[in-house]
Amino acid sequence: MKQIVGIIGICLLLMISATEGQSKANHQDRFVFASYGNIQTLDPCMSYDSTSNQRILNIYEPLIFFDGSSVDQYIPVIAEKVPSLENGGISSDGLTYIFEIRKGIRFHEGEILTPEDVAYSFKRNMIADPEGGPVWMLLEPLVGQTSTRDNNGQLIAGIWNKIDKSISVYQNKVIFHLVRPYPPFLSILCSSVGAILNKQWAISKGCWNGNIKESKKFNNPRMGREPLQKIANGTGAYRMISWEVSKEFIFERNEHYWGKKPAIRIAIFKYVKEWSTRKMMLQNGDADRVSVDSMHIPEVLSMKGLSFYKVPQLSVSGALFCQQIKKIGNPYIGSGKLDGRGIPPNFFSDVYVRKAFLHAFDRNMYRRDVLNNMAIVPTSPNIEGLPYHINVPYYEYDPQKIVENLKKAWDGKAWKLGFHMTIVYNTGNEMREAAAMMIAENLMALNRNIQIEVQNVDWKDYLVNYRNYMYPFFLIGWSADYADPHNFIYNFMHSQGILGKYIRYHDSTIDGLCEKGIQVIKPSERRVIYDKLQHAWYENAIGILLYQQVNFRAYREDLNGFVLNPIFDDAWEDLKTLYRR
Amino acid sequence: MLAFIIRRCIFLIFVLIGISLLIFCILMTFSPERRAAAYVQSPQQAQNIPGIIKQYGLNQSFYVQYKHWTSQTLSGNFGWSLVAAQPVWDAFCQYFPITFELNLYAVPLTLLIGIYLGTLSGIHRGSAIDHFTRIIAIIGWSLPTFLFALILLMVFYGYLGWFGTGIISDDFQLYLLNHTDEFIRYTGLYTIDGILNFNGAIFLDALKRLVLPVATQVFVVVALLMRITRSSMIEELSKDYITTARAKGADNKTVYYKHARKNALIPTITVSGQLVALSMEGSVAVEIVFNRHGMGWWLVSSATQLDMPVLMFMCMFMGFVFVVSNLVCDLLIAWLDPRIRLSTI
Repeated sequence: MKQIVGIIGICLLLMISATEGQSKANHQDRFVFASYGNIQTLDPCMSYDSTSNQRILNIYEPLIFFDGSSVDQYIPVIAEKVPSLENGGISSDGLTYIFEIRKGIRFHEGEILTPEDVAYSFKRNMIADPEGGPVWMLLEPLVGQTSTRDNNGQLIAGIWNKIDKSISVYQNKVIFHLVRPYPPFLSILCSSVGAILNKQWAISKGCWNGNIKESKKFNNPRMGREPLQKIANGTGAYRMISWEVSKEFIFERNEHYWGKKPAIRIAIFKYVKEWSTRKMMLQNGDADRVSVDSMHIPEVLSMKGLSFYKVPQLSVSGALFCQQIKKIGNPYIGSGKLDGRGIPPNFFSDVYVRKAFLHAFDRNMYRRDVLNNMAIVPTSPNIEGLPYHINVPYYEYDPQKIVENLKKAWDGKAWKLGFHMTIVYNTGNEMREAAAMMIAENLMALNRNIQIEVQNVDWKDYLVNYRNYMYPFFLIGWSADYADPHNFIYNFMHSQGILGKYIRYHDSTIDGLCEKGIQVIKPSERRVIYDKLQHAWYENAIGILLYQQVNFRAYREDLNGFVLNPIFDDAWEDLKTLYRR
Repeated sequence: MLAFIIRRCIFLIFVLIGISLLIFCILMTFSPERRAAAYVQSPQQAQNIPGIIKQYGLNQSFYVQYKHWTSQTLSGNFGWSLVAAQPVWDAFCQYFPITFELNLYAVPLTLLIGIYLGTLSGIHRGSAIDHFTRIIAIIGWSLPTFLFALILLMVFYGYLGWFGTGIISDDFQLYLLNHTDEFIRYTGLYTIDGILNFNGAIFLDALKRLVLPVATQVFVVVALLMRITRSSMIEELSKDYITTARAKGADNKTVYYKHARKNALIPTITVSGQLVALSMEGSVAVEIVFNRHGMGWWLVSSATQLDMPVLMFMCMFMGFVFVVSNLVCDLLIAWLDPRIRLSTI
């Protein structure tokens, strides 16, 4: 046994000395990022998460891209210039967008990019239209539908022809024919769904064969069966050399890139789930950047050799009132009546109840004690960083006003008899839990007949239940698909919005304004509409906005050139701009 | 012996059918919406839940879904893993070598240390060595694996910087990507492939990254084995045949290691079989802390995300592993103790 222990000891010494210092070698042309984001696919028609988008947008390129940290100014990439009303690239009716394609760009495998590749890429994505994918963003402006299939999963008649006619090629130009004006269209083109593929390569890998009559067999691929799930051939500054799920993704510089040669040669994105491990990687110099959740920020701030940045995100969490919930078999509303032991299914249809709840949310305390001043408490769904954002009035925490409003609600019964209900949040979200607890306690402290329970539910059950109108008051988040108020305001406030329809709030004036906001293209007109809608959020007490996430980034001090744009979350890194001092 | 092995193999088929039916029944208690939600990450995607249910046939009857799963499995298609973003079999081929490599070092060390210290404390009952192993056992058994792994990581990686995380260093990873013809992946285990390719640097680097995970695994598991061997030794040493052996003039070494330990190992082998089988599903704490995601991480992530094809596959796999490990244990016990005949097991 002693001999075995001796041998093990010698081996350990040998190992430590043999590879000592290797990991700390100074790699000037290497970038290592440790995060807990995993990716599902590299196929632009399927990718709908920020981590996959980061990979795709460093390998492929879109026609245009965001200019630095701006969300409404663009720079040309594959296109020669950004189309606008002024330069005639956008028609005065907002229905035609013309892009002149840059010449001499090559794909990683050597082929020259042509305007046909551009048109093919968009048509191919629309034809594929996988369930749960991002293609609705293209279909809505170009075809006027959000899917190629109806609610029963049947193909919509004539959809292929509409797709075919929506994009045309003329000489060196690609022309998009929109069915209606759609101001966020340029923003959509900057996302991964606008990545340009090589037509011949894509066809050879099993993508749509270019024949519109045979589109059906390429529609709605199952997850994992999308042809470009694990392969890529773009024009971007980087190409993929390795991807092992739950381990790492490795980029290598494209030495034949048409643009300025990037400084970083190798970029390694590691999947490191545990915070302590990430922290030590950063501390030991094994990572140039790691994902830092807000609760760990103080630990990172004390580290040396790092530089810190805050980026407000186009992402918001809110607490919404459902104004007509399901009564049968609903455990969250007590007796189902306003008798002191429950709430009626339409409890929150009374604006005074909503206002009482809004006054129960102590914004200042929440920002200070829960968010550690590391997030913004918004005043309307058109959060900071979005065009036409304004600060509108909000409901201050005020016990007196809570009482006043409850006394007015339900002819005074809500105050006199009290009520019993449950606030639900998804398990693991501590910030939402804190908000739910705060509101419940602030209300219960005023009247012993008010009983509010706070309960956590697993995310998947949560998702199913709020969609089934089970929760009277639920907490949910929303992240931008594209940088336009329509993506937020419509989905929160319109009766058919993705969140709006689950709160069963209907106001024809608001619905009309939401629809008009996307139909006009003049910025001055849009500003007026979104001003009204932001004020309507306050006046109608539709919901409580809890926080707008602020992304905290810690970079190694010698690293520079990163672009901090609110549309991109923690997973984002534009590799071609990075360099070391 | 052959008849015994054939009987166990036939038994294995029924075990696997039983497991698949049971697990499928349990998973089917989740509503189609709940199962479809596994494909959804955001409120935006939640819009497509009805379409997902239809596309994947999640609202079909139990019989239809089970028949579909069975026919696919028999044709070698185990489905798609949402968690691993690849076919289940491909994911298994990626994660199993990682877990297996860890166990390749951890299991023999656990057995060796566990049996050695257990025997010692059994022989020297009540002595300092017995107290020492008892303390080790209590700490190992009561200290959460996650916490112990973190302590090791903080001291030996964070503070001393001796050992790294992950499976192999970035330099070697890049070297391997650029020299696929020079370094052949025979087994998928970096240490073994390092030896087979006569590449000492890669072998040492991979081994260096195994030290802390193996130490954690051994420390946590060895306690059970130690205590079982100890009590078994004490029991054996009190039996009549030991007195007879001593009366015949056998020295302590012969009595302890030839007579007593051989018999004392029978319960240890049974438990070791279970430990080896369990180790094949990985240790999620070790894998997450030391950033070597293998079977444990895959299984836990799949369970939390209700990744049905993976859960079905893993249950079948573990059923297979347990039946095989029991078979091996029975054969070993029969070999150790001639009084036990395979026909009676």
